[in-house]
Amino acid sequence: MNATETPFRPVNTGWGFRMTRFRVFLLGILGLTAGIVAYRLIVGLGGPTNLSDEWPWALWTWWKLTGVALAGAGYSTMVIVHFVGRDSWKDVERGAFLTSLLGYLMVCAALLLDLGQWYNAWRPIFSWGYHSVMFELYWCIGGYTVVQLVEFLYIFEERVHVPRSMRWTLKKIYGPVLIVGALLPVFHQSALCTLYVIAKGRLDPLWWSMLLPLFAVLTSFFIGPSVVTVENHVTARVYGRRLNLPVLGEMVHASAFVMMAYLVLRLGDYWARGMLPELFSGSPLGTLALIELAVFVALPMLLFLNPGVRATSRGLLWASGLAIAGIALNRFNIVIVGMMESTGAGLYVPHWMEVVFVLGLAAFVALAYLFIVENFPILPLPEDPTDSTRPLASGTDERGATHGHPQRSGTAARRERVPPQPATPPAARPRAPVSAR
Amino acid sequence: MTPDTLPSRGRQDGARSSAGDGPSDPSRRRFLAGAAAVAAGTVVGMPAASAQDRRRERDRHADDPGLLIDLTRCIGCGSCVAACKLDHGLAWREDQPSLGPDADLASSNWSVVRTSDVRIGGVPRYVKTQCMHCIDPACVSACFVKALQKSPEGPVVYDGDRCVGCRYCLLACPFGVPTFEWDETFGRVQKCDLCASRTSRGLPTACAEACPTGAVTFGTRGNLLSEAHRRMAAHPDRYVDHIYGEHEVGGTSVLYISDVSFEELGFRTGLPEVPIPEFTWEISRLIPAVAAGLATTLVVLWHRRQEVLRARERSASMTEVAE
Repeated sequence: MNATETPFRPVNTGWGFRMTRFRVFLLGILGLTAGIVAYRLIVGLGGPTNLSDEWPWALWTWWKLTGVALAGAGYSTMVIVHFVGRDSWKDVERGAFLTSLLGYLMVCAALLLDLGQWYNAWRPIFSWGYHSVMFELYWCIGGYTVVQLVEFLYIFEERVHVPRSMRWTLKKIYGPVLIVGALLPVFHQSALCTLYVIAKGRLDPLWWSMLLPLFAVLTSFFIGPSVVTVENHVTARVYGRRLNLPVLGEMVHASAFVMMAYLVLRLGDYWARGMLPELFSGSPLGTLALIELAVFVALPMLLFLNPGVRATSRGLLWASGLAIAGIALNRFNIVIVGMMESTGAGLYVPHWMEVVFVLGLAAFVALAYLFIVENFPILPLPEDPTDSTRPLASGTDERGATHGHPQRSGTAARRERVPPQPATPPAARPRAPVSAR
Repeated sequence: MTPDTLPSRGRQDGARSSAGDGPSDPSRRRFLAGAAAVAAGTVVGMPAASAQDRRRERDRHADDPGLLIDLTRCIGCGSCVAACKLDHGLAWREDQPSLGPDADLASSNWSVVRTSDVRIGGVPRYVKTQCMHCIDPACVSACFVKALQKSPEGPVVYDGDRCVGCRYCLLACPFGVPTFEWDETFGRVQKCDLCASRTSRGLPTACAEACPTGAVTFGTRGNLLSEAHRRMAAHPDRYVDHIYGEHEVGGTSVLYISDVSFEELGFRTGLPEVPIPEFTWEISRLIPAVAAGLATTLVVLWHRRQEVLRARERSASMTEVAE
């Protein structure tokens, strides 16, 4: 963690956050969400949500379950780098970590706002209902978020001057922090689905299982590489970076074997409970479960196993997107579809404010991600210095080109002073020649 | 119905797979085997409940206060609902009917009388609904701040000052009993407390006291069970052969007998006879062992990794010296 050795650099040379039309749009959603939060805090949960005694948990719970599973990217990458010792994955580790940190901050905010008496949120510290899965979840998500904030300090201190005593402390606690950071997620990842074990008889047996905790851990573990892939595509596009295809390919290839184990366990669990015929019975829910496994687990798994797919950025992106959609669908099936029959209230239709709240949380993650990547050392230096100059020359993307090249920073500074080009959302901007391919 | 041992095996597999490649050299393998043995010992220390334990538990609760609700005697007058609302200061709300076909438990309805679709001789069957006061309640096990607790006297009671309002109890309850104050700024849970303040003074519940037809009887669970069996034996032609609550989810303190099948009346049937909390506990009790095993594995992997890094550093500096 010595600052002189680190190959990571902030995208910006100085502090700053450039506004684009897309970022203003995200800020707008965030502002709207702040209004919804205020409304929710004043009138209670009945105002901005369609929750009821039949549907005590719905869209926000789905979003939390999905969000935490996807944020598992941070810990799975970290475990592989620091405990298995795969050094080549280090390049993408910080990006994965940042996604994870922001994901957890988002989920913590959502959890707090989802509580009727949120001011009591400190009570579990003293009143231990340890029989509850929620207890495990509370301690592990809370603890892990704190651990991640500490982990962020290691990045923070590379960019901002901190007292020497703090630097010394950080160095001393590095090992324990990483070990606790690898341990806690296993428990809350599993706990998020174990929550629904108590819905025995209420959650449809197509999704209820005593193996739910194991399924949750496996899914959170295998989805990590897919999330990292998508995240790298975004940074490649926005900052005109070259994708690290060999590492991403290696990661998704490894994840395919975890997916295989997951698939075998899911089918084995159906078989052991005599549910396999239900899967192929053609009933709506059985077919949905079958689609979930075939299209959103087996198909991306096969794609990841295919070297041709792994060699192209497009193939990687599509297969990863499919796998991520599969996680979202699986959690949706647990939280909404599988509970429909027992609630007797039909499909849950969210209030528009519930939907905007979810989008607002996503907007927060996106904006915070961009800000931190641009101002803190998250992304690795481009391998080939000539690469980073090319977007500059082509003039399509002036960002991402200045870091690590002191001799160019003068040009960059001058460019920054030029009135910004017609602002195009970074994602919609035509690709720089070297980006993403 | 007993949950098998699959989850325990599963959790340990999960721990292993997330810890990476697993052991390679024999000494570390021995070390891990030792850790696994320690872990197994911890599991033995936190045992799951056996069927015998459950029977004993049920007998132990024979003196708990409870209700016997004889649906054949209910005329749907709603006296019990009125008494309940008066006793607990609950509002009458248009949007939360407590009588009639749409009657349902809600934040101001701790007890309702629903008119079912079933008619016998033109007379509808009424279903009085309130908390079942399970012997081993799912809501209590789901509550992570102990706002919901089974009081030593028997009723399942709620302390709103402690509650965080997560609503896990609403999801957990197999009978769909707890309700939430959706229109309150700081929403709490609402549910029947079996008139804990009355029963602790030896009084019957408000609903039982108000019932003019003897459809709701207050008593101890043991006595009520014998009374139910006595009535069913005296009129085997009248009653269906099922005491709802005798075995459901390990037994409840509120018991129902009826002349129409419970499924037809809209009761949740097909519930497991195992108390719901046991499913979760079957998994949660493994946590200390899995945590111990996993932590050991991580520490071992960490140290091995540090050795590799140190060796790499040494060889790098040696090459430097050589050059």
